[in-house]
Amino acid sequence: MSPTTAPVGVFDALRGQLQDAATAFADGPDALQGLLLGLVDDVDRAVREPLEIFPVCHHSPASAVAMARRLREKQPKVVYLELCEDMAPLLSELRNCTLPVAVQAFATELDGFPADWGPLSVVAPITEASAEYQAIAYAQSTPGVELVLVDRSSDHVFQWEPRRATSPDQQEPDEEAALHGDAVGVEIGDLRPRFAELEEHLLRNGRVRHWSEWWHQYVELPLGDADHDTYRQVMFLVGSLFRRLAPGESARVRVDEDRERYMWTRMREHLAATGTDPGEAVYVCGAFHAASRVEEFGVHGATGFEIAPRTGTTWQYGLIPSSHTAIEAQFGLAPGSVSIAATQWTKNLKRTRAVPFRLERPAGGKKPAARTPARTARSAPSALPGPATAADPAGAAAPADRLSGFLRRPGVVDPVDEAELLGWSVGIVHAARRAGYLASTADAIAVFETSVLLAGMRDRAKPTPYDFQDAAVTCIEKDSVPGRRDVRRLVEIMMGGDRIGRVGYDALPPLARDVHDRLAPLDLNLQQRGVKRALLDIASRPELERCSDLLWMLRYLMPAGTARPIMGERVLGQRPIQESWDLALGTHQRALIELGYEGVSVEQVLEQRLRRKAYHPLATTATVLEAVEDATLYLRSARLADELGAHALKVLATERTVESAPDVLRRVRRLLAYYRTSQPVLPAWIESFVTSGYAHYCTLLPRAFVDEDATVRQVAAMLGFLFTMESLALSLGCDRTQLELAVAQSHPEEPSRVALLWAAQVQLGRLSRAELRGRCDELLGNPLVLPSYPAYLSGLVHALEPVPGLVDVVVEAVSQALGRLPDPVLLPWLPTLITALRADNADLAPLLVREAGRIFPGRLAELDQWVPPWREPAPTAPPTSRARTDAPAGVALLAAHPAACDAAARLLGCDATWRTAPAAPAGARLLATHPEAALALEALLTKR
Amino acid sequence: MSDLLRAPAEIKYADELAWLESVDTGTKPFTWRLSPKMIRTFVLGSQPGDQLDRKVEQKWFGDAAIVERAIVTLASDRGLLLIGDPGTGKSWLAELLSAAVCRNSTLVVQGTAGTTEDHIKYSWNVSMVIAQGQSRASMIPSPIMTAMETGAIGRFEELTRATSDVQDALISILSEKYISVPELEENGTVFARPGFSVIATANSRDRGVNDLSSALKRRFNFVRIPVVTNRRSETEIVRFRTEELLRRHQITLDVPPTLLDVLLQSFADLREASAAAGSDDERLESALSSAEQIGVLEDAILHSNFFGRQTLTADTLASSLVSSLARRDEDTPILNKYLHGVVAPRTEDSVQNSGEWTQFLQGGQAALKALA
Repeated sequence: MSPTTAPVGVFDALRGQLQDAATAFADGPDALQGLLLGLVDDVDRAVREPLEIFPVCHHSPASAVAMARRLREKQPKVVYLELCEDMAPLLSELRNCTLPVAVQAFATELDGFPADWGPLSVVAPITEASAEYQAIAYAQSTPGVELVLVDRSSDHVFQWEPRRATSPDQQEPDEEAALHGDAVGVEIGDLRPRFAELEEHLLRNGRVRHWSEWWHQYVELPLGDADHDTYRQVMFLVGSLFRRLAPGESARVRVDEDRERYMWTRMREHLAATGTDPGEAVYVCGAFHAASRVEEFGVHGATGFEIAPRTGTTWQYGLIPSSHTAIEAQFGLAPGSVSIAATQWTKNLKRTRAVPFRLERPAGGKKPAARTPARTARSAPSALPGPATAADPAGAAAPADRLSGFLRRPGVVDPVDEAELLGWSVGIVHAARRAGYLASTADAIAVFETSVLLAGMRDRAKPTPYDFQDAAVTCIEKDSVPGRRDVRRLVEIMMGGDRIGRVGYDALPPLARDVHDRLAPLDLNLQQRGVKRALLDIASRPELERCSDLLWMLRYLMPAGTARPIMGERVLGQRPIQESWDLALGTHQRALIELGYEGVSVEQVLEQRLRRKAYHPLATTATVLEAVEDATLYLRSARLADELGAHALKVLATERTVESAPDVLRRVRRLLAYYRTSQPVLPAWIESFVTSGYAHYCTLLPRAFVDEDATVRQVAAMLGFLFTMESLALSLGCDRTQLELAVAQSHPEEPSRVALLWAAQVQLGRLSRAELRGRCDELLGNPLVLPSYPAYLSGLVHALEPVPGLVDVVVEAVSQALGRLPDPVLLPWLPTLITALRADNADLAPLLVREAGRIFPGRLAELDQWVPPWREPAPTAPPTSRARTDAPAGVALLAAHPAACDAAARLLGCDATWRTAPAAPAGARLLATHPEAALALEALLTKR
Repeated sequence: MSDLLRAPAEIKYADELAWLESVDTGTKPFTWRLSPKMIRTFVLGSQPGDQLDRKVEQKWFGDAAIVERAIVTLASDRGLLLIGDPGTGKSWLAELLSAAVCRNSTLVVQGTAGTTEDHIKYSWNVSMVIAQGQSRASMIPSPIMTAMETGAIGRFEELTRATSDVQDALISILSEKYISVPELEENGTVFARPGFSVIATANSRDRGVNDLSSALKRRFNFVRIPVVTNRRSETEIVRFRTEELLRRHQITLDVPPTLLDVLLQSFADLREASAAAGSDDERLESALSSAEQIGVLEDAILHSNFFGRQTLTADTLASSLVSSLARRDEDTPILNKYLHGVVAPRTEDSVQNSGEWTQFLQGGQAALKALA
């Protein structure tokens, strides 16, 4: 600190003045004096720091212009930047992007943080009109300049500020503001009063509504043309003011101070390691941190701050698109303020003729390379003494007390000129008319007049964009908003509107690049925002099938709307022929990039997701089977399907409820149908799944029949599994007695389940259809059980799932119900029947309808003669009775077909041989003496 | 202090207005008595930065931008339409503005279903017409016409309650700025003098009753006044209006700040419940505006002053709240539910409750019992 002597007196005059002011306003030396003089001390100290501190404010064009000028002038060799240090490798990719974009650090696999915090995400949005972008662009485009990020890593963000992660703001973001997702935002140069009263006071006296507006009016504009020293000192002063007037929120202060210690420690480490002269470096940080009072402050500050190690969390990094609206929403800025800043930036550039630094795309690599040095060369003569000024920090301080002058100067007039205002007034009326307002030229005149009047009222010589906005709202907005956007929003759009950034192809993660590569045959610019329609005629261009595969995977993995099939579906066992898609990959770029953090290819991510889903502790058999289906459908991976199928088996074995039975049945049927048609042999897992499922559901059946938690539908689905898989299960070695026993052990009491059991018994042959009909008839005839008849009927309807053959009985039962049930019972039940048929059993209704169509007459004329089949008289004479009356015919039959008799005899253990009967009477006699065999045979033959 | 029950703003603040006029150096549009900036100060109160020797009280509480936009509209050639929920202070703002601009806030037409075109134009003194024939002397000008003739602000309250034909009569007044009187052969046109403008108010809950025509909408600048939900502003409003009341009745009653908190909190709770209610039957009929809040407090103050123990207590406040909010049969169970579900748990919370909530609960329950 050699030049300490020189600047001692620099601020003396100001000090004196402030001291007088303090005495005058506060009646003596007290806190006010301490505060005012403290401000000057802070400025003084920051100005004298050998390592040049460049204070900035976020999204401030004034900061950006000052930064650009300073960099051109000083040409520092090292730029230290207040940005998470682990984000450094990404910055080189910025040249491939359209700003604003955000640098993102993302972690899903947490180690050291509570699992429920995940996924962790930190974003640092970067706009063109910002000092940090100038610094980055300078460092990246100038050879030999090193950019060092010195702020704490993303990991530390969560280590130090755990509360923010647990209680994110509950504001519902609109679609445009949600570009950053639920990430924690970090930004360079957060500068805003932390003292609510101070902010309120500033706003009230500034006659402005929002902090951004105040800043624009009172700092941004006056500093727009200020020289380097003035800029620095004013920013130091503002930073110091907000710092000193902050309430003592200990947690927040601690984080801030820790960050400062962190940054200074890192800088000193870097200086020491590289041997850089502090005079050749610039430290770009928020003005708030420039007024730091930690001991570690400065190149010669205290050492000894221990940087805590990062946790074991694996962080992924990438660039995601950002937008002005998203930035405003995330950092609580006034709507439209970032856009206004961007407009201001272009205006400032034009006015001050400052040459900004820009990262050019490598495609035109030659051009920027040629241009930047040329410009620097032009400014080189003035830049040459740069090192001299830098080496002598006192030189920076010596010319100035710029503060006194600045503070005494009246506010700078907003350079909105009349022509510009006129243009705006006409423009907003046009925009409003397009948005459905009844605005006319008269409104344009009124808006112009009102803006001027409002500005006058608010002590401004000319209206600011914000005044104009108020005026437009006053004159054009009526009692309702006719379209999607109100006038306020229209003005914001007109003032530059929301700008949405785009991450260039080269800066995308491998997965996203791969997706774009693979979709290239579609010949669509999918990087662009908006919805693109893709037509895939796979029949004529088979190579598009791979695109189709990818699109289906994206549809599965990405948020709704990214890839939406308009035509075409993906069903097991079907090949696509033609498909059309609505694709919005550009709009959902962030989601695609975040997908890229999970793996290097879409297939890999999908496989991981399916595995995660299947192996989730709460996964049911149905979910695992779904994963199997998806694996087959999207990945066509028999290996994964087998693996997941084997897991399904395990899950099934541990399941004790039948909740997922309907789903399991549906999926297994579908998978079986697929395997049967497409593969020579069934995969081993599905065979064992069927056999284990058979045994499993047999075991659970008796309990499910009486379990109150299991619904009729679930029990029906179990029976469905048992009956429809029966042949396969038996062929694989299952025992039918198991099922018979299970049905025999079931004793439901609830009517619908009783009906279900009857149906099962009919299927097993333990109950004839006639008996079932009889039972239904009995129920209808018994006035005591009549009210519960609908419940029986529901059971029967559900029974169509396992026993579709019963459909005629069900149609009959329903018809009977409609015909015979009294209205008070029938009417309340009808809606239930309809909803049951429509909701759960969408596939049962067609079955019923078809059968009903078969039974009922098709034409009105036939109805008169029509007799329902169940009312038709029973077949008059059963053939058996004829056999009984006609005994000799029986003997003839016996003689003609001896095999049946032989078999019966063998069964009975009788070894007698045939003898020809001499005459009919002898046979008749034999029959008379031994009627048992004949009777048994009769019973056997007549049995249906 | 005037001897009027409710003095209009220009009388009530006559001193202040006169003083402001004397120190006002700003440019005044037309025949305005104060410059726009001074009107702003009059309505919103003075700030230390204004460098005035005398403190000007804030009279209307809300966003400063609303007042600025309203003033600026009056200075332009469009009418001002203040639109908002009942009880948000539209009429009060209109009164303050007219008092500040022209010292006359009484040129008011009240919009009702029975308002006719005569009410906004002119009518005739029938006996004079019979005696002398139609002349300027036998004409009875409407308040709006008077405002035109004197270059003052005419007020039209509840514009949307008036029928469309009456509303449309305003169109020519606002655009041509004259009224023709075809009955008079001479001087058959009454021209507006500079400074004339119209401040109308409309209730946003009446939307659809008599919608404004787009022609009329074009001639008005709409300024929407939101319901005050900011706790601090609301406290200010209630305190301001209560002090006024106490002064008017010359009551020396102390309103403890804790009770003010109880009142504000109970209204905030009820508003929240109303917002969450599914149907109108589960919602109080009252709009729960700041005006209503003041009404409850006024009621309680007057009651304790004349019938009570000369001090305002929480139970009086509760009974006044119940009696002002229970308007239909459906309101009683809602209030009952509120007392049991929200207030009762609060009485058990020692941090929030230092006795006044218990008293409030008791008072409320007693009032409900009396209602039943």
